Amino acid sequence: MAEQTPKQILLDPILESNPITLQILGLCSALAVTTNLNTSLVMAVAVTLVTACSGAAVAFIRKQIPSSIRIIVQMTVIASMVIVVDQFLQAYAFSLSQKLSVFVGLIITNCIVMGRAEAFAMKNGPWLSFVDGLGNGLGYGVVLVIIGFVRELLGSGKVFGMTVLKTVTDGGWYVPNGLMLISPSAFFLIGLLVWLNRTIRPNQIEKE
Amino acid sequence: MQRDSIANTFRVAILLCLVCSIAVSSLAVGLRSTQKDKKDEFRQQNILKAGGLWPTGPDAGDVDTNALFEEHITPVVLDFSKDTLTKVWNPGAPEIETEVALRDQKLSQLIDGTDEMGSDIAGIRRREGFATIYEVRDGDRLKTLILPIRGYGLWSTLWGFIAVDFSDATDDAASLKVEGLTYYKHAETPGLGGEVDNPAWKEKWSDRQIFDSEWKVRLEVAKNATGNYQVDALSGATITSNGVSNMLLYWLGEPGYGPYLKSLLEKNDGRANP
Repeated sequence: MAEQTPKQILLDPILESNPITLQILGLCSALAVTTNLNTSLVMAVAVTLVTACSGAAVAFIRKQIPSSIRIIVQMTVIASMVIVVDQFLQAYAFSLSQKLSVFVGLIITNCIVMGRAEAFAMKNGPWLSFVDGLGNGLGYGVVLVIIGFVRELLGSGKVFGMTVLKTVTDGGWYVPNGLMLISPSAFFLIGLLVWLNRTIRPNQIEKE
Repeated sequence: MQRDSIANTFRVAILLCLVCSIAVSSLAVGLRSTQKDKKDEFRQQNILKAGGLWPTGPDAGDVDTNALFEEHITPVVLDFSKDTLTKVWNPGAPEIETEVALRDQKLSQLIDGTDEMGSDIAGIRRREGFATIYEVRDGDRLKTLILPIRGYGLWSTLWGFIAVDFSDATDDAASLKVEGLTYYKHAETPGLGGEVDNPAWKEKWSDRQIFDSEWKVRLEVAKNATGNYQVDALSGATITSNGVSNMLLYWLGEPGYGPYLKSLLEKNDGRANP
């Protein structure tokens, strides 16, 4: 692979090699927290912070890490970051942290975070790794926000909790799509995004 | 020193653990008081929600929890050994927390199967001697009584409130109804047992009856609930559902609030202050 500039490292994961639509990573939380935009956005920010900071931290000590325990070292760093994020959420966004429940803790097992630490941060410097984490977090976040937007709009007629389409139960005209409120709808939406992405960028289709 | 040597492996592992644990624990200590404020506020919200006092609808966004709490709710202290209200401490002041009481030999007792303590069907081991309970009054009349309850589910102790509606109370025990039930702390499986937080499920508790006329607790969670005493079980969460039933049986029964509720009906809510 040719040498990448920081700008490429930051922007590539958002469209060109998006962790969700190309690498199909981090789906579990993408299904679970995207019923509305609020939680999607907070989750996106949390994952971006964790990926960027843990990438930088792992890269910083990469020359000291013995290869036999490198995965555990990465996990420890990531887990600490996740606890930090979780503690801040509990202190400053309590009701959101209740809604996100286990999924903040489960950022630890998000394949994107581990994947970037192992694939990128172990081979590059702290600054580039930070940018790489930021880019991948944003790539994840963009997809989350798109799905969150569609699910909240079609599922409950709202955007960020503000009524856009007045639902029948509130005396309006819009019959909400109940499917959008349950996890499988996120699968369909991600599928559609992958399709769209591959139509625009045929180079992403695997060779037969 | 070689990077992959055994000595270095240990050195890195120990150093990393030290640095991470110090960072995480100092942050946790630093944020503790803010988190506690938020948790207390959340607890108050749940008291209000159980009592049906939490506003719902489009303008429910900005509610001053503390003001609403002060306006409607009077905390009082119940002495379980006498089943009357007492003034051992000022319930308006920072209350003695149940967690603290449960570690104190004088403030709590082992649930050992005696008549006084009952048998430990709720899986909570100890019961406090005094409980802060919450009254909602309409003038002089007691409207709702909000009672803290807790019990073991599948993974964790569920902490919550049940609100007893006195508005239709006669001298018949069957006249007492549930106003609402909420949980503010638990670690049940999200999506299964965690559905105790689901508003649709919580709504089902409203207007259920609690006792038969003989003061036997009949309120329970059941599969395919029928009648006025049963609430639908949570699907996929049999053990959590049973936990909810058991804690109601314990806390509303003889070792819990049962005798106090009985005395209220007998005195026609002539609330006796010592």
